[in-house]
Amino acid sequence: MTEAELPRLEALGLVRRFPGGAGVHGIDLLVRPGEIHAIVGLNGAGKTTLMRLLLGMLRPQAGTARIDGIEIGEGPSSIWAGVGQLVEHPLAYSELDGRSNLIVAARLHGIERRTAGALVDRAIAEFDLARYSTVRASRLSLGNRQRLGLAAALQHDPALIVLDEPTNALDPAGVILLREALLRRAGAGAGILVSSHHLDEVARIADRITVVNAGRTIGSLDPAGVDLERAFFAMLHADDSEREEIA
Amino acid sequence: MNSGFRTAVAVEARKAAASRVMASITVLLVIGVAVLALGMLIAAGSSDELLLAKLGPLARLDGWAGLVGIVSQITSAGGLLAFGVALSWLYGREFSDGTVGGLFALPVRRSTIALAKLAVYLVWAIGAAVLLAAAVAILGLAFGYGATDASGAVELLRVPVLAILTALIAVPAAWAATLGRGLLPGIAATVVLLVLAQVMAVFGIGAWVPIVAPALWAIDPATVPIGSLAVVPTVPAVFGAFTALAWSRLQLDR
Repeated sequence: MTEAELPRLEALGLVRRFPGGAGVHGIDLLVRPGEIHAIVGLNGAGKTTLMRLLLGMLRPQAGTARIDGIEIGEGPSSIWAGVGQLVEHPLAYSELDGRSNLIVAARLHGIERRTAGALVDRAIAEFDLARYSTVRASRLSLGNRQRLGLAAALQHDPALIVLDEPTNALDPAGVILLREALLRRAGAGAGILVSSHHLDEVARIADRITVVNAGRTIGSLDPAGVDLERAFFAMLHADDSEREEIA
Repeated sequence: MNSGFRTAVAVEARKAAASRVMASITVLLVIGVAVLALGMLIAAGSSDELLLAKLGPLARLDGWAGLVGIVSQITSAGGLLAFGVALSWLYGREFSDGTVGGLFALPVRRSTIALAKLAVYLVWAIGAAVLLAAAVAILGLAFGYGATDASGAVELLRVPVLAILTALIAVPAAWAATLGRGLLPGIAATVVLLVLAQVMAVFGIGAWVPIVAPALWAIDPATVPIGSLAVVPTVPAVFGAFTALAWSRLQLDR
């Protein structure tokens, strides 16, 4: 396999069980360069746990995750320079203003001090954050904090992007900004994994939709298909019935 | 110094400098100790037997030695609380604010970020210690010690030394805030440290116990050998390492 064909992200048999039975029970997943791969599922299906496993926020009890072919627990920390992520809370420190938050995020992602300023200016323009660049994050609305967090995760043009419910709290303008930002980056070769329960939004941008239920992947939906919602619930229902029969 | 550490220090310094929490703690520490010391000085000058009994041997000291003695006692207790709260905030806020998730999947290691926080804390503590010494100097000059006890001014040096030693023994709060994922466990650990240090110091035991030595030195400098103060830095060394290890092994599993 040549380097160009390596998946940006690969999960093999990831397992992480929590007391009570929740968690992720053996998930395989691929995100290829230039691809937007959406994972959909109900609350508690294991989407966030899966993303945490892929980002090193949790250690798997079994299975591995690889970024550009390198196993995440074992590779050098430099493999993360090409990753942008937002899982749950945006990286927005309440005492810092919008611009300082973006500078901090850029520096932590390995951007040199002398180039961080220009990068941040570009992100402020791309995510329409100029009004908030001198406002402390503590004074921003939830939606604007999310927008700031997305800019912080995407501004360094990562080759792999992992976003958990990124449209949470965004206004319609923010949703469009995010959609365009993701399509632009996928067009430039980034691999993108995004979780959502907004099927309409996912259908607009995803190349592939994987359905997660009870900690497993149970199938995929065609983003171009009609009545995605019906197909989604039919798949969930069939999976739930099957598991009940086994139990 | 590698570039990851430099970056992490720059980031942590920026956060601390912008933070109202760190500024408030500095002001409370400096002004609080100065005001309490002023009150005790006035009490020491009174003829109230009960107050004089409470002040104990400090009431018999005059000039800079008396002032520094009072300030040292307040700093060894109140200062420890202030330093512990600062550490609890520096580490615990990442959990209570939810920003800890953003410190994963970065080319800068989390253990490096934890050590950078400690470096920023130590620099801040040195600054706070110098400010405290300056406030005490102003207080002493206002009481006329500049004229009446010029030779005793060397006692002032004990103030920043004690403040820094106290800052060093507060470092277990960083570890507690990390293990407990928030501010309160760090503050609770500080209170435990405070009680341990003060109780042992009052009984005059533990000159060679690093967390007790500064408080004992504050009460009665003659009973504490210099060598025992020199082992105080083992506390931040050991607990700084524990904290860095806890950050490197951190999982978002609760």
